[in-house]
Amino acid sequence: MGDLVEPLVHGLTLGSLYAMVATGLALMFGVVRLINFAHGEFYMLGGYAFWYAYGELGLPYPVAALVATAAMGAFGLVYERSVIRTILPRTWHVQLIATLATSITLTNLAILVFGTQPKEVPTTLSSAILEVGGVRMAWQRLVVLVAAVVIFAGLEWFVTRAKLGKAMRAMSQNREACAVVGVDVQRVALATFGLSAALAGGAAALVSPLFNIFPDVGALLTLKAFAAVIVGGLGFVKGAIAAAFLIGVAESLAAGYLSYAYKDAIAFVVMVAVLLVRPQGLFGRRIGI
Amino acid sequence: MALFETRGLTKRFLGVTAVDAVDLRIEAGELVSLIGPNGSGKTTLFNCVTGYLASDAGRVFFHDRDVTGVPAHRIARLGVGRTFQLVSVFPRLSALENLLTFLQQHQEEGVLARLVRAPRVRRYEAVAVERAMMLLDSVGLAARAAAPAGSLSYGQRKLLAFAAALMPDPELVLLDEPAAAVNPTMINQMKEQIRALHRRGKTVLLVEHNMDVVMDISQRVIVLDHGQKIAEGSPAAVRRDPKVIEAYFGR
Amino acid sequence: MRALRWSFGGVFLVAVPWIVAAVAPGQQRYILHVLIFTALYGALALSYDLVVGHVGSLSLAHPAFFGIGAYTAALLGTEARWPFAAALPAGIAAAGLMALAVGVPMFRLTEHSFAMGTLGFALVTQIVATNWVEFTRGPLCVTGIPKPELGPLRIVTLPAFYWMGLTAVGLVGLLYHGLTTARLGRAFHAVRDNEMLASAASIHPLKYRMLAFVIGGAVAGGVGTLFASYVGVLCPTELAVSLSVNLLVMLFLGGVGSLRGVVVGAVAFTALPEILRMAPTWRMVIYGLLLLLIVIRAPDGLEGVIRRRSAAWRQPSGG
Repeated sequence: MGDLVEPLVHGLTLGSLYAMVATGLALMFGVVRLINFAHGEFYMLGGYAFWYAYGELGLPYPVAALVATAAMGAFGLVYERSVIRTILPRTWHVQLIATLATSITLTNLAILVFGTQPKEVPTTLSSAILEVGGVRMAWQRLVVLVAAVVIFAGLEWFVTRAKLGKAMRAMSQNREACAVVGVDVQRVALATFGLSAALAGGAAALVSPLFNIFPDVGALLTLKAFAAVIVGGLGFVKGAIAAAFLIGVAESLAAGYLSYAYKDAIAFVVMVAVLLVRPQGLFGRRIGI
Repeated sequence: MALFETRGLTKRFLGVTAVDAVDLRIEAGELVSLIGPNGSGKTTLFNCVTGYLASDAGRVFFHDRDVTGVPAHRIARLGVGRTFQLVSVFPRLSALENLLTFLQQHQEEGVLARLVRAPRVRRYEAVAVERAMMLLDSVGLAARAAAPAGSLSYGQRKLLAFAAALMPDPELVLLDEPAAAVNPTMINQMKEQIRALHRRGKTVLLVEHNMDVVMDISQRVIVLDHGQKIAEGSPAAVRRDPKVIEAYFGR
Repeated sequence: MRALRWSFGGVFLVAVPWIVAAVAPGQQRYILHVLIFTALYGALALSYDLVVGHVGSLSLAHPAFFGIGAYTAALLGTEARWPFAAALPAGIAAAGLMALAVGVPMFRLTEHSFAMGTLGFALVTQIVATNWVEFTRGPLCVTGIPKPELGPLRIVTLPAFYWMGLTAVGLVGLLYHGLTTARLGRAFHAVRDNEMLASAASIHPLKYRMLAFVIGGAVAGGVGTLFASYVGVLCPTELAVSLSVNLLVMLFLGGVGSLRGVVVGAVAFTALPEILRMAPTWRMVIYGLLLLLIVIRAPDGLEGVIRRRSAAWRQPSGG
């Protein structure tokens, strides 16, 4: 039994990360119907921003985390204004290739600037071990989980109470109607990208003490976050969150009991399995034949 | 044996019943119009019976054969032609090629024969071109046969879509709002085309909002409201039906 | 007249090794190497264009099929000592069958999801190639892949490989032409441009998407086989997702959906950086930006720009 707990804890950490990144992806898709292939790069750049703030500048952890989050939020706004605004009226082929091209560009720029060697950013909390009932884990893992819960609770409040959040939810359900009733669709789209990128940046600040930061990390992460969105059902943010945790735990268990090398394939396997059985995702709804 | 029939056809969307247990019966050679206020489920019904949407309950029959749940391309192959509410053509193909595309599946050849352009295939192609030109001529588009469909005006594209649907000589033709968004001259042209189609012995079911057109050419009119069939009969009878009047004006 | 131009061009292309030897003897090895790569990339790009340009499915799985064909043939050649004449069809078949197996779940997805799903498949294939060390040698690579032998013909020298590449791109070009014209081409294009209308025309969208996908994948596997036999060494890095980006650049640079456009794109893409001697990372940054620019400004590539210019020439008054 104790054997199962550590992979489970690790799975929850992974799940928190995937859920935060997947939420951003799902929000962007919901509001502007666009899959951002460069989303994983938000996380990657957030990680490097955190490394710079904490590791190079020596800022205290909470400050560095906020810096990374804010930096990515700003990046998200710039990205929306520059790339997304341009490709939004175009066909999905153009959108897809454009975001894919952005992803490749950012990844290789990161290699040029930071090098291919992974950066390690251990913090006091990632080195300090917490012991609970015979299970040992880094304090940081608890921080990640608690932060994730707080963030999701905050998001729920945001989409149900805050004006901007309610507009986001309304837009994801019926974009045309929103434009008609006077919702500033451009502003909401901009805010959505800022929020999604900030989520990814914040996630990076939370888990970077535990995992390494390297330029290629974005590609796999985008895929897994997307798998979570698909498994949850396109358009259901809560479904994506649930699916993300499912994938995180599955991956961790597979790494421990099946094979470490192939753990990254788990997300994909889960996605294909769900698609074969239930193409609309676990929580999605079916239309058409 | 009716040519086309639905029994208890039902389609629900997120809690709204768009089509509610609708029974339709169309005999061969009829010209029937389907009318009803906006949102009454007409196009949804079209999409269910032509294989684009999965119905939630009920059955669809074509020539007494159960075609419920059969995908769109197979239903088309069985001899059901249709046009779409948002006029639909292949914009990058020429008008002629648009029509040829509609016939080719009915002239199936093995992949190898097609690749090698066997003589039989060439003959089929010639036959197809001849038929296409005839149809284009009948809708007045023969001069624009080589023009890319995307460069045609809205009305011309509507006529093109109409001609394309007729290319495989379907028995049943479903027209979704043929008179919508076109000028009065075009409307008259459309009416003539539909009448000509009917005279040739085709069965026509059309969805239409333009009451003049409906009253003018239909043999029989079916009225839907909120997904339910509320009236059925000759144009004159339906026009006087209090339920129909209420559906259109009563709210 | 056209036949004369074609045969003249054909003779010229075949004679290239001698022309190069005469004109730039010191550079012959290098130039032929670039040309071989260009030919192989051209064939690969054409097979990719079938899927992306003609049936409109934005698949990112092509590197996987390329790799599966390459590894199948490489391993059969090194481990099981299969002759090239058997390894090539095996590579093609393996890639094609994989495309069939992957296509079934993938085509349940639409648009972006399909792209993402195929990307996932490509990533997983690379993961397997890298980690299944007992089978694929992983990062240590498969070495000593035998040179092709077709009966008495042994392809060992650079000119021989060049002619092999030329034959490959020629055959693929013929196949491409046959598949994208006349009725089959119309069916593909109908599915690409208006799937709902295609169904109304009795065209089975899934059938044609799968057809393009499987044929494209199988051809990619064949090109992979040729690639492996030319280079002699096969590493998992060859299956990188960046290959998809390279292919997309070729397609969009030259002109999606056009044989001439894709070939031009492949030539421009392969020859240019060799001429410029760019470092690989900088190369990818430039390609990424280039792709971004092209796809936003001129989505039909050079071909489209040329077509529009010549149309403007024909109607100078704008009428």
